[in-house]
Amino acid sequence: MASRNRPRPIRRPLINKDAGGFDQCWATLQSAMTDIHNKNASKLSFENLYRASYKITLVKRGEELFEKVKEFETEWFHKHIIPGVDELVRNNLPSIALIQLATSSSHERREAGERLLRGIRKIWEDHNTSMNLIADMLMYLERSCVETKQASVYATTIGLFRDHILKYGLKDVDGSDQPFIIMDVVIAVVLDLINMDRDGDIVDRNLLRDITGMLEQLYETDEEKENEKLYTTIFEPRFLAASEVFYKAECEKLLRESDAGSWLRHTRRRLLEEEERCVTSVSNSTKDNIAAVLEKELILAKMDEFLAMEGSGLKAMVDNDREEDLGILYQLISRIDKSKNTLKTSLMGRVMELGLEIEQTLKNTDFSAPAAAGAAGEGEEGAEGADKPKALSPVAQQTAAAIKWVDDVLKLKGKFDSMLENCFSNDLIIQSAITKSFADFINMFDRGAEFVSLFIDDSLKRGLKGKSDEDAEVVLQKAIILVRYLSDRDLFERYYQKHLGRRLLHNKSEIHIEKELVRRMRAELGNHFTAKFEGMFKDMELSKDLSTNYKDHIRNLGDDDRKSTELAIHVLTTNFWPTDVMGRGVLQDGDASRSDCIFPPSIKRLQESFYKFYCQDRSGRVLTWVPSTGSADIKCFFPKVPGKESGPLSKDRRYELNVSTYGMIVLMLFNDLANDESLSFEEIQLKTNIPIPDLTKTLTSLSVPPKFRVLAKEPLTKSVKPTDKFSFNAQFVSKQIKIRVPVISSTSRVEGTEERKETERKNDQTRAHVVDAAIVRIMKQRKELSHTQLTTEVISQLSGRFKPEISLIKKRIEDLLAREYLERMEGDTAAYRYLA
Amino acid sequence: MSDSKYITLISYDGFEFVVLREAALVSETIGAMLRGPFREAQTGRCEFGEIRGPVLEKVVEYFHYHYANRNQTDVPDMDIPVDICLELLMAADFLGLDSKPQMRDIS
Repeated sequence: MASRNRPRPIRRPLINKDAGGFDQCWATLQSAMTDIHNKNASKLSFENLYRASYKITLVKRGEELFEKVKEFETEWFHKHIIPGVDELVRNNLPSIALIQLATSSSHERREAGERLLRGIRKIWEDHNTSMNLIADMLMYLERSCVETKQASVYATTIGLFRDHILKYGLKDVDGSDQPFIIMDVVIAVVLDLINMDRDGDIVDRNLLRDITGMLEQLYETDEEKENEKLYTTIFEPRFLAASEVFYKAECEKLLRESDAGSWLRHTRRRLLEEEERCVTSVSNSTKDNIAAVLEKELILAKMDEFLAMEGSGLKAMVDNDREEDLGILYQLISRIDKSKNTLKTSLMGRVMELGLEIEQTLKNTDFSAPAAAGAAGEGEEGAEGADKPKALSPVAQQTAAAIKWVDDVLKLKGKFDSMLENCFSNDLIIQSAITKSFADFINMFDRGAEFVSLFIDDSLKRGLKGKSDEDAEVVLQKAIILVRYLSDRDLFERYYQKHLGRRLLHNKSEIHIEKELVRRMRAELGNHFTAKFEGMFKDMELSKDLSTNYKDHIRNLGDDDRKSTELAIHVLTTNFWPTDVMGRGVLQDGDASRSDCIFPPSIKRLQESFYKFYCQDRSGRVLTWVPSTGSADIKCFFPKVPGKESGPLSKDRRYELNVSTYGMIVLMLFNDLANDESLSFEEIQLKTNIPIPDLTKTLTSLSVPPKFRVLAKEPLTKSVKPTDKFSFNAQFVSKQIKIRVPVISSTSRVEGTEERKETERKNDQTRAHVVDAAIVRIMKQRKELSHTQLTTEVISQLSGRFKPEISLIKKRIEDLLAREYLERMEGDTAAYRYLA
Repeated sequence: MSDSKYITLISYDGFEFVVLREAALVSETIGAMLRGPFREAQTGRCEFGEIRGPVLEKVVEYFHYHYANRNQTDVPDMDIPVDICLELLMAADFLGLDSKPQMRDIS
């Protein structure tokens, strides 16, 4: 068609004049609104109504329409809704009045309350639906409202519900002057129902949710600001206040009638319930706030009282391993306090108490019963002499005590460890608190370091023989746990060195386990701590090679003397080994008497030969022979006793005796003696120059116990006295060929009071040097420092080894001042300067 | 209430257009019309008392054009005959086709 190419005139849109006119349109809309309220909308044409509002809006009379709609709705409320509400509330009024009076049964109250709420919900839902439809109908008007920034039609009409229903005051109720505001009534009923729910009644939670949902959809004003929901501004504060009252009362009731365990469970249950309630009955947005109320009223308010409860409080939970209770407690406390101070302090206190209890028990326990101690004490028997054969010597009792102490401490530790894992989800704060308390009480016990070392000694020596690696592992772990707690590490080092020395020299333990333990200590405590121990291991290894090499050397010399004595030597580096092992412990008694014990000539030759060998490639070294720690195997020949025709005595007997080096020296003396001759104690002492205490022990072991009585003693008593005489016991018989004569004092044991003082004195001496060194080191670097700063630095430098007393540091500073390493600063006596 | 996939749009001069319901829901007005309890929702027939057949035809064309291109960004313009453009504009306003930002992007 040709006309296609020519632009057609633009058509003017058709406007239907006959349908125009405000009044006519309004009349249509008004009747439609009535129908909508009466649920008759299905006959209406939406397009028709929409077009009506469209037209009104087009002719700029939208606001007029808006006002009309509001008027209509208000009027509708007053004419059709409020009478119903009034009646509904009045009919169920007992429920309102009774919230204050609480006389009727809760059942009646609940029924009435739910009826009331259902009524309100019905009205609300109808209104809401109608308003949605009306808002749709007036959609075109609404769009223009958006442009003019007015509140929307829906917000306004829905707001009418708030203004005309919820804020409606019910007058002349119960003769009271104050009108009942519907919203107050509704909220009060909701809260009452929630309390019933808490008390275990079954209430219609959906109904509650609908009512709170209604409050969530309504705002204070028609601007609908997010934080001005009626729910947030009015309902929630009341709900929280009511909950506070409820739980406060409940908590007090629990405190009166119940125990801590049920308090914990109850509280946990309530927390879950309230969380659930935020889904079923009230808004989820209240979750945190209601939890805060519970935490405050149920947990925090009376926590101290509950924890202090006799028989169910924290003490009882800890003592009886009520792990479930503790677990709940931990969860609850974590909610209210991130640092868990209350729990922390209580636990620390309890650990301390239990720790001190262990010490107390130790003091009150009688260790004279041998059962617990076992073999630990047997070796001491001879030395202690006068004791009853079966009862343990006091020293052995001490050892048993040490082991018991360690066991108890470990048991306690195990208890708290399992608690930490099962109840406190390995919380770091709790863990460090417990660790600190353990360290505290262990270090408060003045023999901790010694006992720990003794325990290790005992376990490694006796405990591990024939046991699997797993068992060894357990012991190692226990040992390390304890060592970690000790703060006087230098003291522990000293004891451990001593015990380890004995174990190594007497070959009492498995060397690979020893090494493993030391390796772990190094990992925990650092290199400087284990340097000596490692030196000891090294000495042992070098010595083994040395002995072999020496043997080869002798063989190569071809000087294969029949009577030669085999030598297994331990060359020990003085610094690594404990002083008493090195024989330096008796320095005070006079230097000469110690080392110059007189060896038999054959042994003397051996020593010289070895020394020559040793100096071949180590010239200039000095070897000191330490007989107190060695041992010797001697082949003894007992000729047949004349006149005996039968029995073992009628034959020649050969035995191999394993005795201490001193024992060997003593026995060699008798080689040169005729059978009937004897030597007195003094004579032996003179000939050998063995220190008297050692000689006493040696002679006791050789002449008192019947099994090892190689020497006959005159008179035959149980203890050796300086006046006794000894002779070769030609009648000696034993079933075994190899006899091991127990080496006296090879068992590690708790020190006596004297010895302990001695150890501590020595330790203090060492400490003094260490502190000196630390002070000088610090001052050299800093040149000038105040007294307080210096003290702090010293303590921090030494914290890995021990905790120096302030008085000690002060004394050392004074000493260094006197020796002119330091000087006081002019004008400031509390500061020092380093003198180069 | 009719919940068929299609609805019928009727112009004031009697033309009937059967449209995919989902496509027609682009119009806010039609959306409100169909979601309530009103007659249109019951019958699935929407009569427009002031839209002529040719205009409604173009509206329906737009519905399907919009629906077909709903997930694309680069689409060709629709051909709008000049002679009905004013009527079409008013119909779009009436139907609430300009109220959603996404529509402005495409049209």
